[in-house]
Amino acid sequence: MMENRPHERTDRPPTLSIENLTIEFSRRRVWTPVVRDVSLRIWPGEIVGVIGESGSGKTLTSLAALRLLPRQARIAAGKVRLGETDILSRTDAQMRELRGNRMALIPQDAMQSLNPTMRVGHQVGEPLNLHRGMPLRAAAAAARKFLETVRIREPERRAREFPHQFSGGMQQRAMIAMGLALAPDLLIADEPTTALDVTVQAQVLKLLREIRDNSGTSILFITHDLGVVAELCDWVYVLREGSVVEEGPVRRIFAAPQAEYTRMLLAATPSLHEPRRAGEAA
Amino acid sequence: MARFLLTRLAAFVLTMFAASIILFIAINVVPGSAARSALGIDATPQAIARFEASRGLDRPLVVQYAEWLRKAVTGDLGTSFQNGVPVGPELLTRIPVTLELALLAFLVANLIAFPLGVMAAARHQGWVDRAFSTLASLLGAVPNFWLATLLVMLFTLWLRWLPPGGYVPLGTDPVANLKLMIMPALSLGLVSSALLLRIMRASMIEVLSRDYIRTAHAKGASEWVTLRRHGLRNATIPYINVAAVEFGFLFGSVVVIEDIFQLPGIGSLVLVGIINRDYPVLMGGALVITLFVLVTNLLVDIAVGFLDPRRAKEGQA
Amino acid sequence: MTTGFNWHRWRLAITGSIIIGIILIAAIFAPWLAPYSPYDLDVAAMLQGPSAAHWLGTDELGRDTLSRLIYAARISMQVAFIAAGVGLVCGTLIGVTAAYFGGLVDLVLMRLMELLFSFPAILLAVVLMASLGTSILNAMIAIGIVFIPGFSRLARAATEVVLREQYVESARAIGMSNTRILFREILPNIIAPLLVEAAVAFSYAILLESALSFLGLGAQPPEPSWGNMLNVGRGFMAQSVMLSLAPGMAIFLTVLGFNFIGDGLRDALDPHMKD
Repeated sequence: MMENRPHERTDRPPTLSIENLTIEFSRRRVWTPVVRDVSLRIWPGEIVGVIGESGSGKTLTSLAALRLLPRQARIAAGKVRLGETDILSRTDAQMRELRGNRMALIPQDAMQSLNPTMRVGHQVGEPLNLHRGMPLRAAAAAARKFLETVRIREPERRAREFPHQFSGGMQQRAMIAMGLALAPDLLIADEPTTALDVTVQAQVLKLLREIRDNSGTSILFITHDLGVVAELCDWVYVLREGSVVEEGPVRRIFAAPQAEYTRMLLAATPSLHEPRRAGEAA
Repeated sequence: MARFLLTRLAAFVLTMFAASIILFIAINVVPGSAARSALGIDATPQAIARFEASRGLDRPLVVQYAEWLRKAVTGDLGTSFQNGVPVGPELLTRIPVTLELALLAFLVANLIAFPLGVMAAARHQGWVDRAFSTLASLLGAVPNFWLATLLVMLFTLWLRWLPPGGYVPLGTDPVANLKLMIMPALSLGLVSSALLLRIMRASMIEVLSRDYIRTAHAKGASEWVTLRRHGLRNATIPYINVAAVEFGFLFGSVVVIEDIFQLPGIGSLVLVGIINRDYPVLMGGALVITLFVLVTNLLVDIAVGFLDPRRAKEGQA
Repeated sequence: MTTGFNWHRWRLAITGSIIIGIILIAAIFAPWLAPYSPYDLDVAAMLQGPSAAHWLGTDELGRDTLSRLIYAARISMQVAFIAAGVGLVCGTLIGVTAAYFGGLVDLVLMRLMELLFSFPAILLAVVLMASLGTSILNAMIAIGIVFIPGFSRLARAATEVVLREQYVESARAIGMSNTRILFREILPNIIAPLLVEAAVAFSYAILLESALSFLGLGAQPPEPSWGNMLNVGRGFMAQSVMLSLAPGMAIFLTVLGFNFIGDGLRDALDPHMKD
């Protein structure tokens, strides 16, 4: 019944604990639940994958942890804890202290997520200014270190450049650097490799694994790409239309999926499966 | 960057040149009116013919223009048909007046539009937004010459705080100068602020919906820091473009406002030139106003090139 | 309400239409609505404030302000519609031609339009009036010319969008003549943004016409125009507040009405509008 979860501990609380979370969306003044009763946990040093198709609520769930839901969404029920901290009862000012500091977001579209009129170094170093009181210029200088960590070459020159001068992969790595700046407990990565070429994707995944290995940062990895999950994650949650249909260690999920939906997803992924015979339904 | 500047300058010179042609055509489209205006309605055809011959108005337009251009590039803008006063020097004495009016009005407009527009966008769809948007709607519909009249009624007739018109150079007596410039600047500036407020609001709303704003929030930036550091720079770029155009329009409106407040600027000279069909005066005045507008556009173009890192790169390509 | 006409969405445009409707009715039915003739002098009764006999008082020659205001509406509306019409028709022609034929034609036409556009509107109008002569007709022409660049730019952009669609290619392929394509395929599809722009043009035309009249370049006395009434009112500021207030209010409301229509149309037709 309870599967073995290597990263689970008894001496410390989970890095992130979401219990019975329900999120509602408003359309024309009517609130409908789009995330229903979702529970998930991430332990220290664990890389947890959340798989689902578009509209499954995976992004909303992660934004709820940051309390950055869009205006049309609201948390209707549930509990969210970051370590010992109760997220849902924090004031706005207290949340601001946590964001970028103890938990960081690596959003989906790096190009759009970077300020086009601000130098990359300034943006990557900004957490130091926001949380450690460093003047922005000094923070930009310190940011070179972070750019090195994510393997951006010539970090000094690059820090002074603007986002449009970076390639797609570099932009994504800059976003990762931005998230890592203050060594957060939790990194929330929302489809960070979706828009990238396969080779670049591999580099980014390798980078994320190294980050976890070197500093014990937990990672919440949201994606619809099963191949990526297979390569990177320790534990998997499968989301469908706002509910968790299955969870388990990555190996077991792929080898012996219990839920019908999980089996469907796996069957539809050509790289993980025998080539389908012509005419066979998905 | 040098190449960017040079191309812009070249375009500017060409546009000035083309503008002078258009103005020349526009003014000289209907023959005979200059003479009739200077000599009176009862002027005989012979008197008109003599008048026109002496000023070269009977020659083909192209020849007239070439002659005008030849003199203009050396700084000679002709002499008034009415009183023979050289146009060039007259314009020079009037430029500071118009410039001061336009700049003050622009200052007023931005002082109102910028903060209110940003606030309206930051509180989008709240009551602040609706209040400011309504204010902008109403102000934008007010004719500036009516506002000028109302201001004079309030501040001169009723409160007796400000004089109704006239001019004192800034250098001579700054306090008196400002007292005389305040109502003209308000008349122009308040109405202009309406459009600028809408633009700033729209621009900021657009910027605030972008992903990089969410990134800033995700890093823990407060609303104020996000607005200032990430929002403003991006929202200001489209705003500046529109503000520049509006500044140009201000130069058009000075024709009316200078007349109302008896300010000896280019605008009132243009008006005199129109009423008297005094072509050299009209041509000179209209040209200077157009020059102001085009110079403004040029400066803004360059400024945006510096502000927007993506643009500057294009200029280098 | 889930069915029926969506009043809420069109509320701004409707409000504007009501305002303009009232003014239009006043303009069209002026002879029946105005209590006096706008030219009747009564020097003994000059510069009076509002009274039972003269709801808005009288002007410097004893004429009834309300009646003159109503008749002035005629002039303003006429100028607005004709000037906007001139700008719309000529501008659309130029814009569509430029977009349709492209190449050198496009370049030359659009450069010319850009140049015209860089002149401040009032300046251009005033300069044109200088050479054309001061009359209401010339005001219509001058203001119309001022509008041409704006409409041409819009028409060209809208036409470009249409040209990228397939049906123009197909029309050409089956041998439809250019003029037919213009009228059957292109025009119907660019009307919407042009109408919104027209509403804006109307309001600007009212402002320009009254500015020209204010300067003495538009309607000539004794013809009443809101602009020249304001000009007179300014001279008699101390004696009669209403003479400065009423015409200005009329201009303000008319411009506001057209602005509401323009904004309302733009908002209502915008697919991105949320409730």
